[in-house]
Amino acid sequence: MNERSAQAPWLLVRRVPTAAWVCALVACLNAICWSFLTPPFEVPDEPDHFAYVKQLAETGTRPTSSEESLSREEALALRALRYPQVRLHPATRAIFSQAQQRRLDEQLQALGQLPEKGSSQAGVATSEPPLYYALEAVPYLLGSNGTLLDRLQLMRLLSALMAGATALFTFMFVHEALPAARWAWTVAALCVALSPLLGFMSGAVNPDAMLFAVSAALFYCLARAFRRGLTRRSAIVTGLVIATGFMTKLNFAGLAPGALLALLVLAVRGARGGGRGALRAPAIAAAIGCSPVALFLLSNALSGHGAFGIVASAIGTMHGSLLAEANYIWQLYLPRLPGTVNDFPGLFPARDIWFDGYVGRFGWLDTFFPAWVYTLASVLAGLIACLFARALVVCRTLLREHASELAVYGAMTCGMLVLVGADSYLVFPTELAEFGQARYLLPLLPLFGAVLALAARAAGRRWGPMVGALMVLLFLAHDVFSQLQVVARYYG
Amino acid sequence: MGGVRTALVAGLTLIVAAIAIVLLQSPLTVLASNSTAAGERLALTASRAGACQAGERLPRDTLAIRLSLGAFTGSAVTVKAIAGTRVIASGERGPGWDGHTVTVPVAAVAHAVSPVRVCFASPVAGGEPLTVFGSRSPPALAARSRRGEALSGRLRIEYLGRGSASWLALVPSVTRHMALGRAWSGIWVVFLVALLMLAATIATSRLIVRELHE
Repeated sequence: MNERSAQAPWLLVRRVPTAAWVCALVACLNAICWSFLTPPFEVPDEPDHFAYVKQLAETGTRPTSSEESLSREEALALRALRYPQVRLHPATRAIFSQAQQRRLDEQLQALGQLPEKGSSQAGVATSEPPLYYALEAVPYLLGSNGTLLDRLQLMRLLSALMAGATALFTFMFVHEALPAARWAWTVAALCVALSPLLGFMSGAVNPDAMLFAVSAALFYCLARAFRRGLTRRSAIVTGLVIATGFMTKLNFAGLAPGALLALLVLAVRGARGGGRGALRAPAIAAAIGCSPVALFLLSNALSGHGAFGIVASAIGTMHGSLLAEANYIWQLYLPRLPGTVNDFPGLFPARDIWFDGYVGRFGWLDTFFPAWVYTLASVLAGLIACLFARALVVCRTLLREHASELAVYGAMTCGMLVLVGADSYLVFPTELAEFGQARYLLPLLPLFGAVLALAARAAGRRWGPMVGALMVLLFLAHDVFSQLQVVARYYG
Repeated sequence: MGGVRTALVAGLTLIVAAIAIVLLQSPLTVLASNSTAAGERLALTASRAGACQAGERLPRDTLAIRLSLGAFTGSAVTVKAIAGTRVIASGERGPGWDGHTVTVPVAAVAHAVSPVRVCFASPVAGGEPLTVFGSRSPPALAARSRRGEALSGRLRIEYLGRGSASWLALVPSVTRHMALGRAWSGIWVVFLVALLMLAATIATSRLIVRELHE
């Protein structure tokens, strides 16, 4: 980093390639489309997240109970929207007649007169940190003169902007990680921008939208630090990104160990080259990054709520042996090892939960494609995997040179997989995989983008750009048909 | 560069053609149901469980049977429609489904058949239990487990087949429907979504042409 850019952060922004901004725009437009296509509250946990924002915006305090009984305003709106009939019942459409619309309008107008404030119960959202909800309180308050649905739509639009940030930082991450092939950056970011699952989740009120963006920013910061070194300024930015992640969603804890490992690696590398003074920057990043956790634990300890406070309700208690849990987590992603208990009989989670879930499970995970679509998708994914495997072979020397950086990304991936697996194990075997939802792996989207960029590059200098263009169009087609599937499910 | 442009044009043409093909097809619709409400949880089956329900009518041209079964990560489900001892239709839905219904595709049925027994099974041991949704009924009419024990009622079953109208013919009705139940209701929402996706496609195409030229 030269001195000029170190003194003027806006110059860094101006240096972001136009292509990155266009990718961000595409992601935003896509997420906005999803926000209008998906009926209100037909996204996992959206009623709970809305309740959290309502509480924060109207009372200035966080919800205190993870019970599911929402505010009267929200409960009545859900009823008027026929939410209980539509959710998990793919045969039931969203409201479909003018008479139902009139009833909904009357109900929404009447709800505006209710004297109640906030929603002290916010279901599964209660234990989440408040940053995303605090940001969403702005559009909530801006729409306070409108109906509940107006507020919800404005909040969804803010989430959609976060999809743009995710695509932007994915572009910048691949730009840093694979600097040689300029065109491949665009392929990676466009594929991510057009991912239907990103659009679907970022077109809703859900802190996942912000988590994806913050995670992408973290990947970019780390790739930049590995490439150009960690200066004091970039350490502060990296620390702030980590801190933002902790304040966005509990799931960020899955990426944090890998991020701290990155700082350790950078510290060791710096100490070798520049003495003990080089340890300062990683230490600053770690201190800033961990400060929200430290403050949270301290404030809970001082107020006598136990170290984890309300978060304890989300952590749950472990059951079974550590070995059994490790076996479960292994099988949640990988083929069962010989001699181990089969936790997923008749099911191959890598395909049936994760791959099929990424290809298409929308609404409350109740909206599917016909079975042949998943088969076709697996063939196309197989072709991309072959290209990626070729890239690994061709670039093996280069990859070896970046072994420590790759180890960090591997640790971040493992951390996220283990977190989701450990959470799912809490309710196993009552539910086989409660958190077996592809959206939980979307914080790893920048790595997915890099994989796609490498796969396109593996086609060679002559064919690579064409293969890249076809991959982008494949994602565009996937996105368009996912939207049509949702239209057919709710409005057909 | 020429290759990228060719790929772009070919890809976009394929997408438009695929959309046209979809629009010319008819969606699956409910041909008939057994008129049982799915309002109650009748049973929570153990893994490798199944049940049969007599007194059903299988309509002509049935392409799928929708059972009111619930799971979070559902195991594979098989279904058979049996008249006497003859299997009239059968099919299987792979694992990994979610929700309060599961739709099992079956080979097309040429003629309506009545009465039939519809049997479903989750053939894998150790999978997630299935919740059966339906309405309470006298034991004589109720669905029966594999062991012959009567459940507490009848399971809701729907028989699906191709509707008479294509998606293209349904566009006006879908458009009207999309305008309802949202903030700022109105048909304009449909045009806005179409315009935004068109803008995203144009931006994507221009970026591909501009950047993918090495």
